[in-house]
Amino acid sequence: MAQARGLRILIATVRVPFVEGGAERHAEGLRRELLGAGHRAEIVSVPFKWYPPRRILDQMLACRLLDVTATGDTPVDCLIALKFPAYLVHHSNKVVWLLHQHRQAYDLWQHPMGDLHDHPHGAEVREAIHQADVELLPQARRLFANSRNVADRLQTYCGIQAAPLYHPPPESDKFYSGAAEEFLYFPSRLNALKRQRLVIEALAHTRAKVRVRFSGTNIDPGYYEGCVALARRYKVHSRVEWLGAISEEAKRDLYARSLGVVFPTLDEDYGYVTLEAMLAHKPVIACADSGGPLEFVVNRETGLVCEPTLQSLAAGMDELWEDRAAARRWGEAGRQRYSDLHIDWGTVLEKLLS
Amino acid sequence: MLKINWFSPLPPAHSGIAHNYAMQILPVLAKRHETILWTDQDYVAPEVESIARVAHYEPANPPWRALNDADISIYHLGNHGGIHGGIWQASRQHPGIVVLHDLCLHDFFAMVFLRTLEQPAAYLAALERWYGEEGRRAGEAFRIGGIGAETMAQQFPLTREAARGALGIVTHSHRMLEELDETPACPVAALDHPFAPAGDLRYQGWMAARRATPGPPYRLVVFGYLSRNRRLDAILEALAGVPEREQFRLEICGQLWDESHIRNEIERLRLGPLVNLHGFLPEDQVEAQLSTAHLALNLRFPSMGEASGSQLQFFDYGLPTLVTRTGWYASLSEDTTAFVRPEHEAEDIRAHLRDFLTDPGAFGAMGERGRQSLRRHDPEKYVDAIVRFASAALDFSPRIPALDLAGRIGNDFTQWLPPDAGAYLLERASQEIVTMCARKARDRDS
Amino acid sequence: MKALIVTCGVPFIRGGAEILAEGLRDAICAAGHQAEIVTLPFQSCPPSRIPEQMLACRLLDVTETCSVRIDRVIGLKFPAYLVPHPHKVIWLLHQHRTAYELWDHPAAGDLIHYPDGPVIREAIRRADRAFIPEASAIYTLSRNVSERLQRYCGISAEPLYNPPANAPLFHKGPSGDYFFFPSRINPVKRQWLAIQALALCREPVHVRFAGEADNEAQQAECGKAVRELRLGDRVEWLGVVSEEEKRDLYANCLGVVFPPVDEDYGYVTLEAMLSSKPVITCLDSGGPLEFVMDNHTGLIAGAAPQSLAGAMDALWADRRRAATMGEAGRERYLDLKIGWENVVDKLLC
Repeated sequence: MAQARGLRILIATVRVPFVEGGAERHAEGLRRELLGAGHRAEIVSVPFKWYPPRRILDQMLACRLLDVTATGDTPVDCLIALKFPAYLVHHSNKVVWLLHQHRQAYDLWQHPMGDLHDHPHGAEVREAIHQADVELLPQARRLFANSRNVADRLQTYCGIQAAPLYHPPPESDKFYSGAAEEFLYFPSRLNALKRQRLVIEALAHTRAKVRVRFSGTNIDPGYYEGCVALARRYKVHSRVEWLGAISEEAKRDLYARSLGVVFPTLDEDYGYVTLEAMLAHKPVIACADSGGPLEFVVNRETGLVCEPTLQSLAAGMDELWEDRAAARRWGEAGRQRYSDLHIDWGTVLEKLLS
Repeated sequence: MLKINWFSPLPPAHSGIAHNYAMQILPVLAKRHETILWTDQDYVAPEVESIARVAHYEPANPPWRALNDADISIYHLGNHGGIHGGIWQASRQHPGIVVLHDLCLHDFFAMVFLRTLEQPAAYLAALERWYGEEGRRAGEAFRIGGIGAETMAQQFPLTREAARGALGIVTHSHRMLEELDETPACPVAALDHPFAPAGDLRYQGWMAARRATPGPPYRLVVFGYLSRNRRLDAILEALAGVPEREQFRLEICGQLWDESHIRNEIERLRLGPLVNLHGFLPEDQVEAQLSTAHLALNLRFPSMGEASGSQLQFFDYGLPTLVTRTGWYASLSEDTTAFVRPEHEAEDIRAHLRDFLTDPGAFGAMGERGRQSLRRHDPEKYVDAIVRFASAALDFSPRIPALDLAGRIGNDFTQWLPPDAGAYLLERASQEIVTMCARKARDRDS
Repeated sequence: MKALIVTCGVPFIRGGAEILAEGLRDAICAAGHQAEIVTLPFQSCPPSRIPEQMLACRLLDVTETCSVRIDRVIGLKFPAYLVPHPHKVIWLLHQHRTAYELWDHPAAGDLIHYPDGPVIREAIRRADRAFIPEASAIYTLSRNVSERLQRYCGISAEPLYNPPANAPLFHKGPSGDYFFFPSRINPVKRQWLAIQALALCREPVHVRFAGEADNEAQQAECGKAVRELRLGDRVEWLGVVSEEEKRDLYANCLGVVFPPVDEDYGYVTLEAMLSSKPVITCLDSGGPLEFVMDNHTGLIAGAAPQSLAGAMDALWADRRRAATMGEAGRERYLDLKIGWENVVDKLLC
């Protein structure tokens, strides 16, 4: 199908002011790619605050009230919507590329890491989110998901089908590989879902003196402090390093020099970390309940998929630490798998705009 | 001084609003305010142009730029779809003051939706909007001839449909909208229907003519388009039951809806010598009849609620009148009118006729008091009142986009918002909308 | 301090407001705080959609981010400044002008062409009067904007001037043989007035226009006027120029002609002053009048071709006077102490 050129495209997403996350970079990346393909593209990002729960309803309505059908006299040809509640914005040619739904209303409902169920109005807001998703998402002309994991959740909870559409992590061409040094790398925002704590506790059970370097900003208040205290309590504090927020270059450097990447995140939507590790020719340790990463990590071929238990994770880290040849082999295989999956922006644009 | 867009039928349109109402009001209005007369008629009588500038518009696409130069628009609606259809279309898009000359507007909307615009869905939607499922079903039945127009008019007046999106409504009947259960959601003003009485000199001439023919026989007059609701049957029956009926003559002036039926009745009741059927009379003959009449019979049942120009004309002539105690007529004073109860028509008419014979002077005095009461109907007062009302209504104009917005939000909600969360969000949105459009800024919450 | 700058934009159109917001953000960060810009899309036609977007702004919550307080919200434009916040400061670039002073402007008026224009206009005015006073402090872009706010809404607000982008990079060069008129090409900037004035000049005045037209029709109209008045060799259309080119054009001109109608502010005036060049403007030009001093830093002509021609002739014929005025202009700019520090201080205090 011949692709239209010179379209006027708006990307609708949300942002949390003063907190930069993968979603913002994703929108930026998409925009750059669209511009590169000869279209005009801009990002419309709506500030989003999800507490107290009823505020969510306000902002859902706000999104329904926004008008992005045209700019002045000229129509907007396409709206690509990425996140809740921005994907509720109306447009006759809306393509939803779902990064994730409002998980607190779905898989995190009644989950210790969710926040909606604690509130008196949590149930009614959950129902509203659900109904809006069910009624309004199918109004999009095309529906894609960030990963099979996200698509499966959408199917399970809302009975709606979306096609997974993978995209490269930001600056994917800048990743490189290097000789493995004595550390595993865990780059991610520090929060309960990423499960840095699990790694710390697992370290206490490893045979080898496995070392882990953590980088990323603290998101959950107190989480970082808890991790540090935990490391001390388990007497592994000398084997962990907390690098905090670091530059992209520094991050790529750490990927290149790591022995492998440990990423035992819980039910991750997608997981740039997995792909970045693969781009750096490094093996990945994930868990059986990690979600997104499992679409890329092949157990004992490009890394290890452990049980989300201390013993299993410890054993996995030990294996990588002690079998350097396997680590290297799996890392190369990971790089090959990345290529085989045709994760590139050309494919993304073609699917989004067809 | 305001700049006013005026939308009404204008001479030579076949409408009392054009000839009587507009031509009485416009000279006064144009003297005080810059008035532009907007019309979709092909032709407007030259004398209108001498009162104010006439501008033409296409109902499908009025010149908004020019219309927006004015401070306010005033639209006149009546029950005739051909005459008022274009005016209503403009009023729907460009909020202004709507003057309702008729209150029962089903005929109007049926013609405009079904014939002029060919939008049966809109017709049914209007009925459903105000009368629910019952209204919709009645409309469907009407379309296939299952229900008559008169029934539809009485049960589904659709007055509120005409008020939709208006800045304000003017009627000439006090409290009639409440009685019809058609109170709209906008400001309403009930003004006395304007009427410029004939000069005193002319009136003295009429009185002289009446005194010159004091009777008996006493002349009873009935005027106008005489359909069933003008109660001719009851009048004839009543007259036949008056022992002294020889002292009366009944002059029936106007087109009869069923002439043969009336002639049969006259014959059956043996009233032949007492009744004259004149048919439709030209203006000069009307004057001759009214100036020499002694009592006017202006009965209506059922009434559509609106004010009666003919009643005011009877007052002008100092004629005492019998009216049915219903609708606008019920608001008239016992000082100036004699009432007939709808359920006891013949009986009450007979009683009044016999009272008349006992004391014709008392009725004559009532007629003179009727003439005095026309002061309330002074066109200058009317123009002042309507302009004052329009200015006040302008203050509430943001109400219109606010209601529109609330409606659109409500509609959107039906797609995605469950009732529990809906209650909260409706309240939240409503509060913001009210503050946005309220007249005074709300106090800041501490 | 965390400050959120909230403004509106029309996607794909970048103008002065965007540049100002970025300048403000950078200045706030330079002062050691954190600042981000939130730009909400705003579609003003048809007017019936405006109340919805006003409501959308009212429904947003920017009080906190992940349990961290957002200390200040700075609202710049309608309807973005309707966003609620306990410490909101409005730095009013302009209200929705076509609901106010541009209501019946022959070229710029837009609401007036719609049947519901009047009721929407009243709704906008009502909302402004209800919500602008919510702010802890209200500043404006210029005295012109303050006066409009006072006149239409009875709200008083202090003007807070800001420097043009890259102010330190403007420089002075020798006086060349042209007047410079940099601006978007549209009826409000009134390039047509300069063209008609040019036809009446006695001196061989030459004008260089830089900037792109709002739409093709605008450009065509200007071209047609030039052709009809046979001014082809006295006029140059440079189109969009780079920032550096623009500064050079300022530096080497004889003076700047800038006769817009009721301009909110007018960076052009300040850029000319920074470049030590005199400014010719008009009595009804608005913003520029807050800076140009007649016969001292420039000339204020009547808003008619003859008067404007007279002013252009005067400077063309007396280069020394032009140069002196230019110097005075630069001095005035410095006297006014227009800088971001002052802006940030006021907005964040």
